[in-house]
Amino acid sequence: MRKAVILAVLVLLGALGLAQGDKLKACWIYVGPVGDYGWSNAHDQGRKAAEKALPWLQTQYVESVAEAQAEAYMDKLVKQGCKVIFATSFGYMDSVLAAAKKHPDVIFAHATGYKRAANVATYMADFYQLYYLNGLMAGALSKSGKVGYVGAFPIPELKRHIDAFALGVRAVNPKAKVLVRWIYEWYKPAAAKEAAEALIADGADVLAFTEDSPTIVQVAAKKGLPSFSHYSPMQRFAPDEVVSGQLVHWEKIYIDFLAKVYAGVYTPKNLQDVDYWWLLPQGAVELGGEYGVPINPKFIPALKAKVVNSPIFGKLSVYDLVLKELALMRDDELAFDPFQGPIKDRKGNLRVPAGLRLSKGQLESMEWAAPGVVGPWPNEPK
Amino acid sequence: MEAWIWSATLRALAFGTPILLAGLGEIYAERSGVVNLGVEGMMALGALAAFAAAQLSGEPFLGVLAGTAAAAAAALVFALTSITLRANQYVAGLALTMLGIGLAGLLGKPYEGTPLANTLPESWFIVAALLLASILWFFLQHTYWGLLLRSCGENPETADAMGINVYAVRYSAVIFGGVMAGLAGAFLSLAYRPSWADGITSGLGWIAVALAIFSAWHPLKAVAAAFLFGALYHLSYRLQAYVSPEFLKAMPYLFVVVVLSLSALRRGPSGAPEALGTPYVRGERR
Repeated sequence: MRKAVILAVLVLLGALGLAQGDKLKACWIYVGPVGDYGWSNAHDQGRKAAEKALPWLQTQYVESVAEAQAEAYMDKLVKQGCKVIFATSFGYMDSVLAAAKKHPDVIFAHATGYKRAANVATYMADFYQLYYLNGLMAGALSKSGKVGYVGAFPIPELKRHIDAFALGVRAVNPKAKVLVRWIYEWYKPAAAKEAAEALIADGADVLAFTEDSPTIVQVAAKKGLPSFSHYSPMQRFAPDEVVSGQLVHWEKIYIDFLAKVYAGVYTPKNLQDVDYWWLLPQGAVELGGEYGVPINPKFIPALKAKVVNSPIFGKLSVYDLVLKELALMRDDELAFDPFQGPIKDRKGNLRVPAGLRLSKGQLESMEWAAPGVVGPWPNEPK
Repeated sequence: MEAWIWSATLRALAFGTPILLAGLGEIYAERSGVVNLGVEGMMALGALAAFAAAQLSGEPFLGVLAGTAAAAAAALVFALTSITLRANQYVAGLALTMLGIGLAGLLGKPYEGTPLANTLPESWFIVAALLLASILWFFLQHTYWGLLLRSCGENPETADAMGINVYAVRYSAVIFGGVMAGLAGAFLSLAYRPSWADGITSGLGWIAVALAIFSAWHPLKAVAAAFLFGALYHLSYRLQAYVSPEFLKAMPYLFVVVVLSLSALRRGPSGAPEALGTPYVRGERR
């Protein structure tokens, strides 16, 4: 009798193992809590959507993993049977490469990084096109001519976004300034709040930011000031004050990547050159503070009332300008780009010659500040 | 210029409020002889309970009540382990911090990403904190009950010999500390930033613990210290256009180190309760 029971249990376990054998196990490592309502939350939404879309996918995640502990967590995930590991913070870069060396049969994908290996791919859904469009709207809505920006860290990614934003602001409001304050944290509501209050006290009347919580949207709303949502749909936190924003669809990248792994296109041996740099045309990013709402209808009259003279389209309202440029940037041909020369930095040096655009490498290593940016700018080139 | 000073003062007060509220509670607990390092955890639980109750009932005052009650309950657990069971106060406090943050994060999942419908104004909490500070100062320094509390922190044996129930006093002080931490948490999730998110306290509880030492366990000095800390914090963003942000960011902490070193150099007693951190055992010599 006892033997029979043991046998039955063994058979059952074996069957479970077989059933699981068909599944691909992918695991995610997040730098913040999944409830941060920003970066890590967006990745987790992507994970959930991928799990829903791919019936053969099994997922697992660990949250709030400090960068120094990332390697130990990756070892643990490999032991637990993860075949694909998504490391979702820039700071995990060297840990990913170290872990990849130790586990050559496991596929690693590192978000925002630039170091690859045979079994390490990199991926990024970038917002710089959206920031430019947000800038156009911010410039049109600012009465004081001062737009506030709270940045997390002065690194090239944020500088690229702020520069694109400032170029947009200046395109419709040539004398406007973009006041920048840094908080040196990815997720710190209290710091974000005080930085936003400081900007408002200095005269900023429109706010945009990079921080993983809706804090700044709430601060601006309390004062009745327009703001731009970041990363997650934050319009619901201030339905009357959020103008637009940037939304991400990481699932587009995750589903594409995992499907290719499942189909055998990606193996732990051929990822050296696999680098996703997905923008509007791939649908990895979306304009708006709420899915499907590129511009809050409450602001459409104000944006329609502001008429500008665009070098491409001639005289038109900012509302039309945003929609036209959005359509151009959505197109595979990329008929429009925010960093279209000639562009000088705020010190007057020519950064993008006339008729040229920046390469991906130049975008990823951007350190200069666009004209109109006011505030500290560590590592600014001479 | 006037507007500049006025807005800076207001922000300094607002940022100083949660630190002051929780710090006052910690001063009371420590004055009775118990170090509670669990402020951060109690604050997180308080913030969550306040948000949940306010959101479900639509009544922010109920939120304040729930926040203080939840944090007080957490403080009771700490009191049980550190006073009755005489566990190491520092370890028990650290455990409470981790437990509080973790539990709040877990239970708070359904509330993430939803704004609070009915909020409370920041100014109410600011005024309440300032009023409470003066009341608590008067109570501690000028009433019989305040004397009882202080004597339990200075010399519990003597207090016991005089017929004071040391355990009861310490229990009440620790639970009161919890109430104040809960109030600070309620301020965060109902007024300062009316929503719930994991990690909403972001280290403010630890600043409150530092505040108790920094203010030499004196409620009125705590007001000045909290205001100063709030001002430094606010100015670290306000002055970024003129001074290096890295330097400004380190300023508040640099300031604490300098003042603590200066106060250590000062002659005479530091102001720390004599029996701070030592569990009291009846009939045993220290």
